[in-house]
Amino acid sequence: MENKGVFSLLTDNLETFLQYTGFANATPGHILMILIGLLFIYLAIKKDWEPLLLIPIGFGIVIGNIPLFPGLSVGVYEEGSVLNILYQGVQKGFYPPLIFLGIGAMTDFSALISNPKLMLIGAAAQFGIFGAYAIALAAGFAPAEAGAIGIIGGADGPTAIFLSSRLAPDLMGAIAVSAYSYMALVPVIQPPIMRLLTTKQERLIKMKAPRAVSQTEKKLFPIIGFLLTAFIVPSGLPLLGMLFFGNLLKESGVTRRLAETARGPLIDIVTILIGVTVGCSTQADKFLQMKSVYIFMLGAGSFVIATSAGVLFVKAFNMFLKDGNKINPLIGNSGVSAVPDSARVSNNVGLEYDRTNYLLMHAMGPNVAGVIGSAVAAGILLGFLS
Amino acid sequence: MKKMMKKGLLILLLSIFVASVQDLGAQNMSDIRINEILVINTDDFTDDYGNKSGWIELFNTSYGTVDIGGCYITNDPENLTKYMIPRGDVLTKIKPRQHSLFWADSKPHRGTFHLNFNLDESKEILFVSSDGRTIVDRIEIPHGIIPENVSYGRFKDGVSVMADKKTVDIANTWGVLERTSPSTNNFGADKEPPGMLFMKIDPYGIIMAFTAMSVVFLSLIILYLVFKHIGKYNIKISRKRAEKAAAGSKHIVTEEETSAEVFAAISMALHAFYEDNDAHDVENTILTIQKVTRNYSPWSSKIYTLRERPFKSR
Repeated sequence: MENKGVFSLLTDNLETFLQYTGFANATPGHILMILIGLLFIYLAIKKDWEPLLLIPIGFGIVIGNIPLFPGLSVGVYEEGSVLNILYQGVQKGFYPPLIFLGIGAMTDFSALISNPKLMLIGAAAQFGIFGAYAIALAAGFAPAEAGAIGIIGGADGPTAIFLSSRLAPDLMGAIAVSAYSYMALVPVIQPPIMRLLTTKQERLIKMKAPRAVSQTEKKLFPIIGFLLTAFIVPSGLPLLGMLFFGNLLKESGVTRRLAETARGPLIDIVTILIGVTVGCSTQADKFLQMKSVYIFMLGAGSFVIATSAGVLFVKAFNMFLKDGNKINPLIGNSGVSAVPDSARVSNNVGLEYDRTNYLLMHAMGPNVAGVIGSAVAAGILLGFLS
Repeated sequence: MKKMMKKGLLILLLSIFVASVQDLGAQNMSDIRINEILVINTDDFTDDYGNKSGWIELFNTSYGTVDIGGCYITNDPENLTKYMIPRGDVLTKIKPRQHSLFWADSKPHRGTFHLNFNLDESKEILFVSSDGRTIVDRIEIPHGIIPENVSYGRFKDGVSVMADKKTVDIANTWGVLERTSPSTNNFGADKEPPGMLFMKIDPYGIIMAFTAMSVVFLSLIILYLVFKHIGKYNIKISRKRAEKAAAGSKHIVTEEETSAEVFAAISMALHAFYEDNDAHDVENTILTIQKVTRNYSPWSSKIYTLRERPFKSR
């Protein structure tokens, strides 16, 4: 009798234990999301597509989609859980400015300072954001949601997270994953558009070598750049402030240790945390919706618009420039702020047509201007829609 | 004297810092406004005890939480510390842009939010900072125009200034309200989100695209113009410096050309002079290399950083 009691107790306990396991709580959605996470990891390792982002996000997706028995205080959306605490940086939006600090500390703005007219390309490419905003509105998204989706066109993961956490927190997972996925796909998406919109003659344009930039100019850039942009768009303060502050740490020449920390350990830590928690936030029940599919489609559209706008703007701009000063339209794609991937794409496509035409340094100008431009655009959207 | 001046300056800076910190503290409380009052309550909302009495609504105009614990509410300008809001009550922390309600029922023993005076016999209400002296906000009660169960308050929460944002105009910013609204905003239902309002005027996103792109372009055009000119100025300066340096080096060359001979002649003369006077040392032309001794230290010994070579034991 006693033996039977012990046996039934054991089976009861085992049954309870089984209820807590992932096997008992798994849904097809969880399995699908885990497969997506594994695909990200595969692409990062095998294809070398943005491994620093896709590995943390991919593994985060796997972590976030382990089927849980609710109430164990371990899920990313369960208040007080470790993952939830780490996720606060995304939810409250304090990871993105920290990443911008690191970006500022590692970015050399000399290409932009030596040829400041390249800044305008960085502005033109932001059209992708507002083009996608208009399409998202037409697709039935609320204005705040449309703004958050549009920012995918800026090709800037931290900005996308920052803005979506303010405007459309429910869509943040889909927006962040979409932004980072397309950033990884920059070498695939952009070249066909660049080839389609340019003639062979235009692709062969050789640009003037950039002039040497003095240290004083480099030191002045973050200060003046910050004051001007922040006074125009104060709502972009967290991103702009940190970006230019990081750059001042780099260029001041007297804060080497701080600059090294910002562009080294700090940005690495925050990248790990932001990647893994954004991945975790894509729990199947929150992520697998038709809205996410639309967001992915709109994200692709915004990248196409941004790339086209940059290339077409350079072509139009060339009409006003003298022969020796013309810009190769292949650098128009780098107006999106996927640094330095889109600049690398410009360089590679340029080399396909002329093996002596290195466009990398020229493309870095609009590329870093794109970072400033997308932060300004995010500030405007925040100002209008929040 | 200089040291004294430095010390004086330091003390001055410290006092400015301390004063500013104190100001910051006061600034939080200065964000609180008396927002709405109900003087005679016979048929309106009841308190937690089921009683109807007059009430005062405070509003936090800032975007940060303000703790009003330790501040004072009074109806007597001669006695600014008539009712102290108890410290340590979590409910005295007013969230950004939120309200707090005090029942004027002369029953302070009923809790933090029950004052020790009534409104029907009060001429004025004052909200006083925790220092007991600084009047943060005050409003006279126009008994004649306020009917029973009707509240008197600001038309817009916390606002008592005109469009120029400087002139205080109670007459046009305060009035008898259409409905009483304790602990909620005074102008009706919650505002529509700005995005939805924006969508009404711009359903296709064209105005947004145009406006935002103009702002992005404007920011970067200004940056472009500034750095174009800084660049030009910098090039100009570098050219000037290069020219100056070139001119300077020319001068040095000329100096070198003329002076080299002079120096050579002087050297020769000096050499000859000292040789004649036996002033030179006799050099033995032997080169001695002294051994530099290095004391052994295990801390820098290489053998501790190397692995031992594996060998076969027999």
